[in-house]
Amino acid sequence: MRWPWIVLAVIGLAAVGIPLVAGEQVADFSVALRPPGVGHLAGTDHSGYDLLVRTAEGLRVSLLIAVVCAVVATVLGLAIGVAAALLGGWVDAVVMRLVDGFNALPHLVVGIVIAAMWRGEPLAIIASIALTHWPAVARVVRAELLAVADAGWIQTARLAGASRWFIARGHLLPAVTGQALVAMVMLLPHAVWHESTLSFLGVGLSPDRASLGTLLSEARGDVLSGAWWTLVVPAAALIVTALAFAAVGTLVRERHRPPVGQVW
Amino acid sequence: MDAVRLLGIRAAVAIPLTVAISAAMFWVASLSPFDPLAAYLGSNYQFATESQRAAMRAAYETDMPWWRAWWQWMGGLAHGDLGWSSTQSQPVATVLTERMPFTLLLSGAALLTAAAVAVVAGCIAGMRSGGVIDRVCTGVAVVFAAVPPFVVSLALVLVVAVGLRWLPASGAVAPGADYTVAGVLRHAILPWVALTVSQIPWLLLTTRTAVVASTQSDAVRGARARGVHGWALLRGHVAPVSVLPTLALLGTRLPELIAGAAIVETVFGWPGMAAVLVESAAALDFPLLAALTVGAALAVLAGSALSDAAAVAIDPRVRIAA
Amino acid sequence: MKSPAIALAVVLVAGCAAPSGDADSDQIVLSDGYVLGGYNPVNGYAETGVSPIYDGLYRPVATTDTALPDLAPALASEPPQPAGPNTWRLPLRSGVTFSDGSALDSADVVATYQAVRDPAVASEIATSVAPILRVRADGPDAVTVELNTAADPRPYLLLGILPSEKVEAGPAADWAVNTAPVGTGPYRLESLRPDQAVMVAREDYWGEPAQIKRVVYTYTPDDNARAQAMVAGTADGTSLPPRLIDSVERDGIRTVGVESADWRGVALPAGDPFTADPQARLAMNIGVDREALVRDVLVGYGRVASTPVAAVYGDAYDPDAQYRYDLERARTLLDAAGWRAGADQIREKGGARATFELLYNAQDTLRRDISVAFAAAMKPLGIDIRPRGTSWDEIDTRFADAAVLLGGGSTPYSIDSQVHDTLHTRVPDSSPYSNPGNFTAPGLDELLERASASPSGTAKDELYRRVQAVYAAEPSHVFLVFLDHAYGYRDLGWQQSAPILEPHAHGVGWGPWWNLAAWKR
Repeated sequence: MRWPWIVLAVIGLAAVGIPLVAGEQVADFSVALRPPGVGHLAGTDHSGYDLLVRTAEGLRVSLLIAVVCAVVATVLGLAIGVAAALLGGWVDAVVMRLVDGFNALPHLVVGIVIAAMWRGEPLAIIASIALTHWPAVARVVRAELLAVADAGWIQTARLAGASRWFIARGHLLPAVTGQALVAMVMLLPHAVWHESTLSFLGVGLSPDRASLGTLLSEARGDVLSGAWWTLVVPAAALIVTALAFAAVGTLVRERHRPPVGQVW
Repeated sequence: MDAVRLLGIRAAVAIPLTVAISAAMFWVASLSPFDPLAAYLGSNYQFATESQRAAMRAAYETDMPWWRAWWQWMGGLAHGDLGWSSTQSQPVATVLTERMPFTLLLSGAALLTAAAVAVVAGCIAGMRSGGVIDRVCTGVAVVFAAVPPFVVSLALVLVVAVGLRWLPASGAVAPGADYTVAGVLRHAILPWVALTVSQIPWLLLTTRTAVVASTQSDAVRGARARGVHGWALLRGHVAPVSVLPTLALLGTRLPELIAGAAIVETVFGWPGMAAVLVESAAALDFPLLAALTVGAALAVLAGSALSDAAAVAIDPRVRIAA
Repeated sequence: MKSPAIALAVVLVAGCAAPSGDADSDQIVLSDGYVLGGYNPVNGYAETGVSPIYDGLYRPVATTDTALPDLAPALASEPPQPAGPNTWRLPLRSGVTFSDGSALDSADVVATYQAVRDPAVASEIATSVAPILRVRADGPDAVTVELNTAADPRPYLLLGILPSEKVEAGPAADWAVNTAPVGTGPYRLESLRPDQAVMVAREDYWGEPAQIKRVVYTYTPDDNARAQAMVAGTADGTSLPPRLIDSVERDGIRTVGVESADWRGVALPAGDPFTADPQARLAMNIGVDREALVRDVLVGYGRVASTPVAAVYGDAYDPDAQYRYDLERARTLLDAAGWRAGADQIREKGGARATFELLYNAQDTLRRDISVAFAAAMKPLGIDIRPRGTSWDEIDTRFADAAVLLGGGSTPYSIDSQVHDTLHTRVPDSSPYSNPGNFTAPGLDELLERASASPSGTAKDELYRRVQAVYAAEPSHVFLVFLDHAYGYRDLGWQQSAPILEPHAHGVGWGPWWNLAAWKR
C-alpha cells in the first residue's frame, strides 16, 4: 500500500473523527491562547477552543470544499471538452478562445474578485475555483478525445461495422473518464491552496465556519502575541494535506498514463 | 511561424480580449448582492437614515446599470481618465503610479532571484540526478510547492520579525520617515524572500526535468562519449536545450507571480498595487478594480506572448500556432 | 509633497540619507489604525469638537475621564444666551482667522450647519444635528440657533466650522476639504500622503500657539505593526486593542485605558416569539456574567453596562438599575414563563424554540469575540444563539429574525443623544439601527420624550433615573459593556493633558493626544 494513500486516509479520519469524539465545542475566553500542554494537546486558540479540535474541524471544511470544487470543475471541463471535441467546427473554436480567455486571468485575481463580491458564501468560493480551473480539464479531455478518435483501432472498429454508440461507450468513454479522474485528483491540492488563500485574505469563509485558511488568518494576529502554536498546527495540517493530495495525484496519473503519448 | 508574427497576432487578440474581460468584470460585479454604499460609509452606514441613504445613492449614482457604468469607464479610459478610487480617496492613476514602482521592485527582484537560484540548483540536481543534492532539492521543492505563500510569509514574520527582531515585518519604511534607499531595502528583505521562495519550486522542478531529459538525449550522450564533461558539457550542450527554453517559460509564470505578490504585499503591508486588489474587490471600488484586473490580464497576456515568442526564437523545433 | 516614485529615483542618484523621525524635541509621531484624510467636518470628522485643525462653537474641556466634560466656548465667545423659547443667541469670538487667512464670521457658521442638513450633501452625521431646526446669522458676529428641545444646545454645537467658500453643493465625501482642510484650529495640514499626514502649528491661531510644532500621523492598519512600531521606537504613541496593549509596556512606554461611553450590546430580533416575551429578555440580561466578559474578552479594559447610561452621567445614573448576574434566577424566570428544555436542551414553548442568529460586522474582531462569548454564556440557559459575521447591508435586511451586535455612544456629551434614539420605539426616518427590535417597556417612550425635552437640572436627572428603572424591569436589548480605549505612549517629557471621556470614535485623535495644543514642557 502506497504511503500517500495511507496519509490521506489518516487525514480524512482525523478530520471526521476528532470533532465527533470531542463533541460540541463551547467558547471560553478565560482559557484563550494557552500553550500546548496537559488538557490541550495543541493549546487553545483566540476564543478558548481547543486548537486540535478546531484544526480538525477546519480540515474537514477545507477538505469538503476542495472535493466539491474539484468535482464541479471536472464535470464542467468534461462537458465542455467533450462538446468541443465531438461537435467540432465553430463550437470547438469558440471553446478554445474561451479557454485562452480564462487563461489570461491569474486564478487568484479572479478568485478574489468573485469571492469578495459574494463575501463568505461557500458557493461563491466553489464557483470562483471551478471557473478558473475548468479550462485545464477541458483542454486535456478534448486533446485526449481528438487523439483517440483518430487512432488506428477506432478506424478499424468503424470499418468492421461497430456503431458510433458502441465506440463511444467502449473506447472513448474509458479514455476520457480516466483523464478526467486524473484531472480531478490533480485539482485537489490547487483547490485546498485556493480556498485557504481566499479565506486568509478575508474573502473566503467566515470565521464562524472555520476552515484552515480562516484559522491561519486569525493566527496572523495571535502570533505576534507569542502564540506560535496557532500558526504551526493549522499550517502543518494544510501542508501535509496538500502534499498528500499531490502525491496521490502523481500516483493516479502514472496509472492512467494515456496510450497515445504524453498529453500532460 | 516566427516570433515576430506571433507577437503581432497576440497583440491584436489582446485588445478585444481585455475589453471583453473588463465588461465581464462590470457584469459580475453588478450581480453582487452587496450594497456599494455599505463599503463607502463603513461603520457610519448604521447611523444613516433611509432617506439619507437614498440621497447618497442618488449622489453617488450607485444604481446605474452595469453596461452604463462600463461604457462610462471606457469613455474615461479613452481620455486617459481612469476614474476615482473610493477606497484610496485618490485618482486611480495616482494610485497606480504611486504603487507600481514598489510592486515592480519587489516582483522583479523576486523573479530574477528565483530564476537564478532555480536554474543553478536545477542544473546541478539534473546533472547529478539520483544523487544527494538532487534528492534534497527535489524534496524541498515539492514540499514548498504545496505551501501557500501566506504560510511562508507568516512563518517569516513569526521567526525573524517577532522572535529574533532582526528585520521589520511591515511597510516599506519606518512609520513617519521619508522613503530612503536604505530603509526601503531593509523593509523589502522579508517580503522579497517570501515571494522568491514561492516562485522557486516550479522553476527548479521544470529546469531539473529538462536537464535530465537532455542528459539522456543522444546528442549529449555523444558529447560525453567524446570526452566533454562537467562545466563544458553543461554550457555547450545541456544548457541551450534545457535552460534557455525554461527561462523562456518565465513569462508564463506571471499569474502565479501576481498571485504571490498579492499575498505577500498584503501580509507585509508592502505598498504595492497587488495589496489594494483585495481591498478594492471587497469594497466594490469599480474604477480601481477594473484598472487592476485589466492590468493583470494585459500583463499575463504579454508575459505568455513573450514567452511563446522567445521559445519559438530559441528552439527551432518548437511550433506554436498563435 | 513629492510622489514616492520620484523621491526614490532622486535618492537613488544622491545616495543614502538617514531616516528622519527620531526624537526631534518639538515633534511627535502618532501611529493610527484608521485611514488618513477625510478631514471634512460636514461629513463627521471630529464631530464632537476634538481636532487639531478645526474648532467648533464649543469644545469639551475636562481634567478626567470619569465625568462628563464641560462644554466651554471656543469659536463662540460666551455660553449660549437664551433668546426665546428653545432659541439661543451665540456671540462669536472676534479676530479669528482660518488657516488660509480669511476671517471667521457668522456666514461661515450658518453655511456649515446648513450643509450638514442638506440632502444633496449626503452628510453622514445629519442625524446628530437633527434637534437643530434653524441656524441664522444675527449680524456678522453672532448666530441664533433654534432647537426642538429646551435642553442645553451645546452638545449639538461642537461641529468644526468651515469657511463658507469651502462649502460645496455635492456629496460631502468628495469635497476638496477632505484632503486640503481649512479650519481655525491650532494646527494646519502641511502634507498628506496615503500613509502619512503631517500637521504643523499655526502662528496665527486665536489662542495660545501650540508648543508641539509638528505632529506626524502615520497610517498602519495592522494592530501588530503598530505595537511593533511602539516597541521599536519609531512611534511615540498609538491606540491598540486590549489584547496587545500589555505587550508594549516596558521602560519608557506607558499604557492607559480611557473610559468611554462607547457601548456594545445585543439588539434582539423583532419578530421572534422567544424574544417577544419580556420575561425571556429579562432572563437573558440576568443570565450573562458581564464581569467575566470585561475580564476575559476585554482583558479588563472596560466596564459592565446594563443600560446605555454610564456612571459618568453623575446623578442621572441609577446604580439600582444594574443587573446582577444570577444564572439560577434566570433559569427560574424562563421556567415560570413556560419555556421548558426540549430534547436537545434548547428551551421551547408552544412549538417555538429559543434559538436565533446573532449577526455582527465581520471586519470587527472585538464584536466577533463579544458575540461568541455572549452565545457561550446563553448556552447553559438553554438558549441557542448562532453567531455569524457578515456586512452591514445584510444586517439591514435581517432585523426581523436575527439579533445584531450593536455599538453606540458616538455623541455621548449629551445624555439625550446617548439614550433617546436607542431606547425609544422606532419613528419614521430614524436610523435603522436605533432600537431595531422595536421593543419597549410600558410608559418608556413618554418618559424618554419628557426627559430629553426638559432643561438640564435635577428634574432631568430624576426623569432619566426613572427611565432606567422602567427599562430594567422590561429591557429591550441586552447591553453588555462599555469599552475602555487602550493607548500606549512614550514619555517624552511633556506635561500632557489628561484624557477625557471618549465617544465611539477612537484612534490617535483621542487618548492622551486629544488636546495636543495644550501640552507644555
